[in-house]
Amino acid sequence: MDAITFSQVSKSHGAVRAVDRLDLTLATGQTVALLGPNGAGKSTAISLLLGLARPDDGVVQVFGQRPDQAVAQGLVGAMLQDGALVPGLTVREIVGFVRGLYPHPLPLAEILAVADLTDLAGRRADRLSGGQAQRVRFALAIAGAPKLLVLDEPTAALDPEARRAFWAAMRAYAAGGRTILFATHYLEEADQNADRVIVLDHGRIAADGTAAQIKARGGGRTVRFELGDQPAAALHLLPGVTALEIHGGTAILRTDDPDATVQALYSSGLTIRDLDVRGTDLEAAFLDLIGH
Amino acid sequence: MTSYLRLEVLRMVRDRRFVFFTMAVPVAFYLLFAATSHGAGRDAATGLTAQVYLMVSMAAYGAIGAALTTTGSRLAAERQTGWLRQLRATPLSARAVITAKTLASMVLALPAILLVGVVAFTVEGVRLSPGQWIGIVALMWVATLPFAALGTLIGSLVGADAAQPVTLACYFSLSIIGGLWMPVSQLPSALRTISGWTPSNRFAELGRAIAAGHTPTATAGLVLAGWTVALATLATIAYRRTVAS
Repeated sequence: MDAITFSQVSKSHGAVRAVDRLDLTLATGQTVALLGPNGAGKSTAISLLLGLARPDDGVVQVFGQRPDQAVAQGLVGAMLQDGALVPGLTVREIVGFVRGLYPHPLPLAEILAVADLTDLAGRRADRLSGGQAQRVRFALAIAGAPKLLVLDEPTAALDPEARRAFWAAMRAYAAGGRTILFATHYLEEADQNADRVIVLDHGRIAADGTAAQIKARGGGRTVRFELGDQPAAALHLLPGVTALEIHGGTAILRTDDPDATVQALYSSGLTIRDLDVRGTDLEAAFLDLIGH
Repeated sequence: MTSYLRLEVLRMVRDRRFVFFTMAVPVAFYLLFAATSHGAGRDAATGLTAQVYLMVSMAAYGAIGAALTTTGSRLAAERQTGWLRQLRATPLSARAVITAKTLASMVLALPAILLVGVVAFTVEGVRLSPGQWIGIVALMWVATLPFAALGTLIGSLVGADAAQPVTLACYFSLSIIGGLWMPVSQLPSALRTISGWTPSNRFAELGRAIAAGHTPTATAGLVLAGWTVALATLATIAYRRTVAS
């Protein structure tokens, strides 16, 4: 059974259409990144699939059920943006409480260990650092051993080391065959941690595939060489070229057929020095896809 | 839901400021007022001594305080910080959250009522029959329900910054107009006419009737029941509206 399906789902906030006729299917066991700039509709899509918001139009299903039903059955765990912890309780009390709400939770010691909280278990939640609180929120999301784990910008406000530790913990959890969906605007996180990357823009899917496919699709490859003061006039007409930039004598051609482009370049009569063909990084592909 | 109830009670008990205001303040006021009214005659309307009359007033004052302060500003703060959203992403239902919060505020109202009674018994020598003691505590405890509903309504409607002043404004005006701080006969005539319609006035009337040895009037029961139904309905609607988007 598919973990998540969106069929023609729309949701507006006032005049802004946050999610626009979205169609999306996530198979069980995938780790999927939802990538997009602020305002692309990531958080709205997550609210919809947790049953925190209802679609204006279309149908959202989680494990074949309404999202709020799947949540009520303990199939879903979530780490929301700015999900503050309740003051006055210790880490152990909060995690233990949330764990107790689920029918088949993980053992408390295991949750604390995975989230690296064992040493902080007795500390009051209002006396934690930002990164520590973030780990508690991760612990709350996995406490019930949910089949679907949803993380909305889980590493925002973490330093690079904490971020690495977080993803290591997340991968350990994913290894159990669970479905994971995380929203991020860090491209490298999507690249390194997801089997599949879905790029959202203006509430619609701008691209969907593995990180490698998205890199290939968004602008393909770049061909760069020293143009010097030779005329650049016809470069953008070469076969395969989709974009042309010239920076201080260096020509950068974006192409979806690098072989044809290079061949045509050598027959063009120009003097080609320092030729360099490389794949686009995900960042460039991403910017390309969302049209900035 | 019981685990959530336990969690809520635990949080409240750990909040020293809360414990001070709901437990210590009514007791302190009771001791102060009772000491200054030694030798005063019996209340004309109820025939109660000042010590008994004030005991009921301050128990009511403490119980209303406990019910309002455990709900209003806490709920507003949890709405703002996202804790309620986090809870909604767990199997705990919205109804269970509201029910547990209401019950927790009643759990905390009980010691506020009991403590004033114990001080009245030990310090001021108030003597009532065991049946009267049980009746006062039990009835007043159940009758905190409309105040818990009022707090939930405030917490669902008002933002985190405004919730505390709004709660205090409701608390003090209910206490004053309801005749908890001074007998209703000493209020300005405009307030005296509306006093009988307030839940706080009828709340204290329950306790006073039993202390005076008769059954509370049906009017008192009806006014309290009416407030409970109205406030609980509004609170449920307001809460649903805040959690659904």
